[in-house]
Amino acid sequence: MNEAYRYFLLFLGALLVYNIILIRFIALCPFMGVSTQVETAIGMAMSVLFVMTMATTVSWISWNYILKPLGVGEFLYIPVFILIIASLVQFVEMVIKKISQPLYRAMGIYLPLITTNCAVLAAATEAVKPGFLKLNIAYHFSLPEAIIYTIGVALGFGLVMIMFACIRERLETSPVPHSFRGAPIGFIVAALLSLAFMGFANLLGL
Amino acid sequence: MDEKTSLFYEFKKGIVEENPLMKLMVGLCSALAVSNRVENGIFLGLAATFVIFFSNIIIASIRKRIPDQVRIPVFIVVIASFVTIVDLTMKAYFPAVYDRLGVWIPLIVVNCMILARAEGFAYKNPILRSALDGLGIGMGYTLVLLVMGVIRELFGTGKIVLFEKTIVTLGPVNPPLIFVMFPGAFLTFGCLMALLNRYEMSKKE
Repeated sequence: MNEAYRYFLLFLGALLVYNIILIRFIALCPFMGVSTQVETAIGMAMSVLFVMTMATTVSWISWNYILKPLGVGEFLYIPVFILIIASLVQFVEMVIKKISQPLYRAMGIYLPLITTNCAVLAAATEAVKPGFLKLNIAYHFSLPEAIIYTIGVALGFGLVMIMFACIRERLETSPVPHSFRGAPIGFIVAALLSLAFMGFANLLGL
Repeated sequence: MDEKTSLFYEFKKGIVEENPLMKLMVGLCSALAVSNRVENGIFLGLAATFVIFFSNIIIASIRKRIPDQVRIPVFIVVIASFVTIVDLTMKAYFPAVYDRLGVWIPLIVVNCMILARAEGFAYKNPILRSALDGLGIGMGYTLVLLVMGVIRELFGTGKIVLFEKTIVTLGPVNPPLIFVMFPGAFLTFGCLMALLNRYEMSKKE
């Protein structure tokens, strides 16, 4: 297997086959919370992509050059990674506030929530600390592999968010049984989407 | 003492009225992912209850000393320390369960449920109340995990296996595997929520 093809498989696996929301249930809170409008879904997806890639890069460097050589990784990785993510989120918040006021207003309380967006910590932990990832083509990532994997995860998150936001905008005007209004019908729709994504299983031997 | 201020109410409200999963819709990710087996639900539920109970106590006891601007990082560090305890304990004593739960144990840190309680409750209330609130919320979370686990494991595999012993079987049927797979989780949870909505609407009428 040549190198470029391996990267491609890694990316595709993270994007579709092991889609972070529909197949692995990570990051359901923003999935349910922010996906009522397409515009906010796009904003959320972009900031997650940015935060996630930076978080994995910084976590990878700190794991391989600080935590592992010092032998404290086993019991310090959780606080270290989460603090890295928390400070990155603060940074992104300041940048967005400076660049685009409408976007900042639209994201509202959800930007600080990226800190507790499990997807960011999950991607960082899986891509950096060996033993969590169940992909059969990689066990321990090098830095470029970790970054490509993370971009795949983040784009998978964005793809599903935007898809789901489009469906939910239509749902607003459709005749849904009264007790299913709002979140319950959202979950049923997610079940159907998840069923569709299961069709990607075993794609290219992943 | 009226009902809203009694100590028992702080405990009770987490189970029904402010159930983290059904009502507040926080902490969904882990609940849907691990509820495919009853056993997983028990372990993750207990782990999360442990973390939320102790982090609520610690945060409530130091709440007057935390500067407002850095409160979120402080909460996260407190929570992360307790999660590390759970992480290492589980790895040492229940390696099989740890392997199955995988990344979900470190992900308790970012379980919105725990941070939401730290920010929304423990930061503003005294120690005893916060402890009871944490216990109640943890119980409510575990309860939903158990219900989902029973439904999904029973209908998805036809039997419930607890600690390597089969407790209940449906007999020789061919179970619809979809319940233990990913779509089943969304489906079960959506239907449970709709049922609860319906129940509450009928109570109002």
